[in-house]
Amino acid sequence: MNIKLNGKEILIKDNINIDNLLKLKKINKKNIVIEINKVIITKDLWSRKKLNENDEIEIITAVGGG
Amino acid sequence: MKKLILNNVTYNSRLIIGSGKYTDFSMTKKALEASGAEMITVALKRTNIGQSKNDDNLLDHIDSSKYKILPNTAGCYSAKDAIRVALLAKELLTDNLIKLEVLADKDTLLPNEEETLAAAKELVKQGFAIMVYTTDNIDLAKELEEAGCIAVMPLGSPIGTGQGIKNFSNIKKIIENAKVPIIVDAGIGTASDAAIAMELGCDGVLLNSAIAMAQNPIKMAEAMKLAVEAGRKAFEAKRMKMSDIAISSSNKESVLS
Repeated sequence: MNIKLNGKEILIKDNINIDNLLKLKKINKKNIVIEINKVIITKDLWSRKKLNENDEIEIITAVGGG
Repeated sequence: MKKLILNNVTYNSRLIIGSGKYTDFSMTKKALEASGAEMITVALKRTNIGQSKNDDNLLDHIDSSKYKILPNTAGCYSAKDAIRVALLAKELLTDNLIKLEVLADKDTLLPNEEETLAAAKELVKQGFAIMVYTTDNIDLAKELEEAGCIAVMPLGSPIGTGQGIKNFSNIKKIIENAKVPIIVDAGIGTASDAAIAMELGCDGVLLNSAIAMAQNPIKMAEAMKLAVEAGRKAFEAKRMKMSDIAISSSNKESVLS
């Protein structure tokens, strides 16, 4: 299925959850926050929350700023 | 010296520094230590996808037991976007403290007054403790305080310019009117600018580029620490009155001849 990850369209296998996506994309689970379709998904749901076709996923972290 | 209290936390330092523009995280950490600051701002951005799992993260370099992390809503041009970023920050850092920053224009980086106030009102409703970046508009500063912001942070001059405090009388008036801490945010270029802000009676100074863009950031961080302390002490000491005429320092009777 197609999803949008941090603004970029990607093709991934069906029926995966957030944890699977993070593993697949080699993203450290520490220090990030996740939004799907502009709704924050709290950490406790990452192993349960399944991704759907055309979901827009944003993975956000802290960077230098003033 | 009187201490700065923000969101029920007492700070020994009245200097807040930003974490942007450093060559690497170890430099950020060293500058933070040298500055004596106990609060450091961070921005929120999309993670890099497709890099290694062990990618370095800024948050791993800041000891959150020693330093308060102040996330900002940089890059937002509407109340709606700023509220979204504030919620993300709260989830990321499990804290309700936020530096609200809603800009009007990507060239001037000046605050959007209307959207800033709208965002502040909504975020207060949602339980945020807001330190708000604003213009030197005296009325707006009061409105932001009345909206429930815990600190109001007018600019000294535009972000990243290092032009210093360009608006003495407005900053002074904002301080006179305020019941919450007033912190000059943006425009500080060197130590004397920070000292001047503190002498005016500001409760603190927030700066980033002045340290990060100095040729020797660590030394400048130390300079800023001293400047903020010196400026605050001078403010508390209440300076002498200025005179139009010269007045001798020695007592007339004791002078020879």
